[in-house]
Amino acid sequence: MEQKDLREWEARCIQEEPPACKAGCPLGVDARGFVLAVKDGNPVGARAILEKNMPLAGIVARMCEAPCEQYCLRAICGGSIAIGALECLCVEAVPPRGKPLRLPPRPKKVAVIGAGPSSLIVAFDLAKKGYPVSLFHLQDGPGSWLRNIPETILPGEVLAEELERLARLGVLYRRVEALDESPWAEGDFDAFYIGQDDRLAEDLLVGLGLPDVVTFSLGKSGWFTGGLSAEDDEYRFITDVSQGREAAVSIDRFLQGASLTAARVALRHGKTDLYTPLENIQFVERLVPRAANYTEDEAKREAARCLDCQCLECVKSCVYLKEFGAYPKTYARRVYNNSAIVKGSHSANKFINSCSLCGQCEIICPNDFSMADLCLDARRTMVKEDRMPGSAHWFALEEMRSARTEAAVVRHAHGRQSSSSLFFPGCQLAGIRPDQTLRLYEYLQELEPATGLWLDCCGAPGHWAGEEKEFAVIIRDLEQIWLDMGEPLLLVACSTCLKMFREFLPRITLASVWTVLAERPPKSAKPGVTKVLSDPCTSRHDQKTQAAVRTLLEAIGQPLSPLKNSGELTECCGFGGLMESANPDLAKKVTKARVEQTDREMLTYCAMCRDQLARTGKPVSHVLDLLFADTSHGATEPSVTLSARRINRRQLKNTVLESYAVGQSIPAAQWEGLALHFEDSVSAMLEERRILEDDIRKVLYQTKQEGSSLVHGEDGSRIASAKLGQVTFWVQYKEDNDLFTIQRCWSHRMTVVGGTV
Amino acid sequence: MKLSFLPKDMDWTCELCRQKLQPGFVELHYAGNVFKVELPVCPQCSRVLIPEELAVGRILEVEQLLEDK
Ligand code: SF4
Ligand code: SF4
Ligand SMILES: [Zn+2]
Repeated sequence: MEQKDLREWEARCIQEEPPACKAGCPLGVDARGFVLAVKDGNPVGARAILEKNMPLAGIVARMCEAPCEQYCLRAICGGSIAIGALECLCVEAVPPRGKPLRLPPRPKKVAVIGAGPSSLIVAFDLAKKGYPVSLFHLQDGPGSWLRNIPETILPGEVLAEELERLARLGVLYRRVEALDESPWAEGDFDAFYIGQDDRLAEDLLVGLGLPDVVTFSLGKSGWFTGGLSAEDDEYRFITDVSQGREAAVSIDRFLQGASLTAARVALRHGKTDLYTPLENIQFVERLVPRAANYTEDEAKREAARCLDCQCLECVKSCVYLKEFGAYPKTYARRVYNNSAIVKGSHSANKFINSCSLCGQCEIICPNDFSMADLCLDARRTMVKEDRMPGSAHWFALEEMRSARTEAAVVRHAHGRQSSSSLFFPGCQLAGIRPDQTLRLYEYLQELEPATGLWLDCCGAPGHWAGEEKEFAVIIRDLEQIWLDMGEPLLLVACSTCLKMFREFLPRITLASVWTVLAERPPKSAKPGVTKVLSDPCTSRHDQKTQAAVRTLLEAIGQPLSPLKNSGELTECCGFGGLMESANPDLAKKVTKARVEQTDREMLTYCAMCRDQLARTGKPVSHVLDLLFADTSHGATEPSVTLSARRINRRQLKNTVLESYAVGQSIPAAQWEGLALHFEDSVSAMLEERRILEDDIRKVLYQTKQEGSSLVHGEDGSRIASAKLGQVTFWVQYKEDNDLFTIQRCWSHRMTVVGGTV
Repeated sequence: MKLSFLPKDMDWTCELCRQKLQPGFVELHYAGNVFKVELPVCPQCSRVLIPEELAVGRILEVEQLLEDK
């Protein structure tokens, strides 16, 4: 990922855009953060948030007319949050936070002529930046019209205190007879601010001209102005304050010799790209204080009406996005940093490899942010740069390779030299439900006798793992097989295979078996109790198949109850994108979250989904269980172990070969014949550690051949080990009359070299 | 990586050499890194025992650390 790609990714996720209230504040106060702090009973934190953007908060919070409230999204459901009143209460309750920080002194001097609100802000902002500021005011003292505000709104004491704070920042008050050009005549100042929200002398005003509306600079170089609101303006105070702030920004830039306009962020007037869903919001009316002002308790209740405007839409629906504690914009940064880093830990590897690539976020996101694309791209880069953790996808890739070799076979129907259709069940259906695979094949042949059978894997694991080279070879190979079979119509059972073929082999003519079955449901079909249908995540964009499955279920009389995230919004079972392989703990959470969305039995048309979901103990059926009574499996049947899947696939291939001609099957390897025995706890250990019975048999066979076990001195246990591919496996066992009772198994990827006593 | 991983139970004999395993030094290699550790070794044929706790504990941890380096 290049820096510019990162920017593009970041720009897509609008979660960091300001909420409407903040966008509606001319000072950019984080009103959401402020209101939420009030709600949480943290007034000190709330004041700190105010002071971050609000100058002279004691005055401004009391006087601001709260234009932000016009934009507050709560408005449509009971009225906007009383942000202004809450701010007022906050500054009354909490004293200011000590002395404001001041940057080191700078040499250039500023004259502020006039002492109205806008001038006070200019003085405050520039004094903080380290400029020596002289503030020229009339006889009655700084503050101008603020001095006439009723005590109940702005107590004289508060005004005096804030003016005192300004003085402590180094602002020099200079009382003059008239606010005229005389400071300029002093020849001592580098910039001038004319605050028009005070009684300026006529001769100063004449010839001042109009300021630039963005920078508030005047025709004369180094001269700026503000405080231009009419006395009856609804937002007179805050507008003048805002003009003071903008002028201060310009003066600072001017004194530093910088451009007044470059990269200057315009006021947003409430405009924001933040997306906030407003459905399901309960109407709650704005709380009217019983006395003049809110009590602390009333304030909390009023603040609690805040919607906490956020997007996070994708995060709310995705266990994976929640798990890593942030949202796509920051995730894009993590992914970028992970590849930019040369030395040190690639701490986002696991994050990148944990995404199920299911594509739900892209559908939900108002800007189509696709974590799948982001993560897949990152995985490909990791593979290319040879820094993909070896263990991340190892098991799934080995599964794929096994399914593509020892378990793969393609044949025309018995006694035929060609196929008009070719059934492609996919490696998961073949491994998990070999009996149903054959049963379905039989039925498809009833419908169309010239239907061939192709047991293979579509290569999805290679694609998901980012192994582009290996995947490209697989795709070419699959295409060649299809061509060699005479380009038949491919009948595909698995949603993942369908997706892969569609995306990478568009030449192949395809149909989903489910659309075929929807047209001709088998007679033996029997409905079960009401279930909810979980679409596989790889069917997300395949509305045709999703609809066909529903038509089929309706035709056989299967009652369905709705499931919230279905169809285009469906969720991953925990296997997709090899999440299971890279982050098994997270996959468990994903699976659990999915089954918890319903109290009913579940139904699916992906064998992997079925076994994944059923692992939680949830009753889950495969649609094939309803279609063919003679090969039906119970909804509570335990999931097929990894070991059994491997063996099932090989056996299925042999059954198929045998059915063509007796004696055609592949003879079993010698290690396959070893008789194993283990307790359930050991089976669970194998499953957890991803050790196959095949591996154990190979290790034992090899060790036996060499006579190279380790033998325990007391109980006669033995330990065998062998390196098979990248992994070294260890088996602790007892042998009795050619029966191996397995006690423990473990493995590691480190290789052992040498060994000297 | 801590250097010694001798299990409590050292009562293992090499079937081939009929020799009891003894504390010895072994090199473990991963992702271009080498660790020299003390493990039970056959004094004759150098066969090594990697105990289960080590494989699923420290070794796994270090493997993952190195994979993310
Ligand atoms: S509801 Fe809360 S966050 Fe949303 S605009 Fe209103 S004050 Fe801001
Ligand atoms: S849905 Fe997610 S990715 Fe899209 S803008 Fe919202 S937080 Fe960002
Ligand atoms: Zn030996």
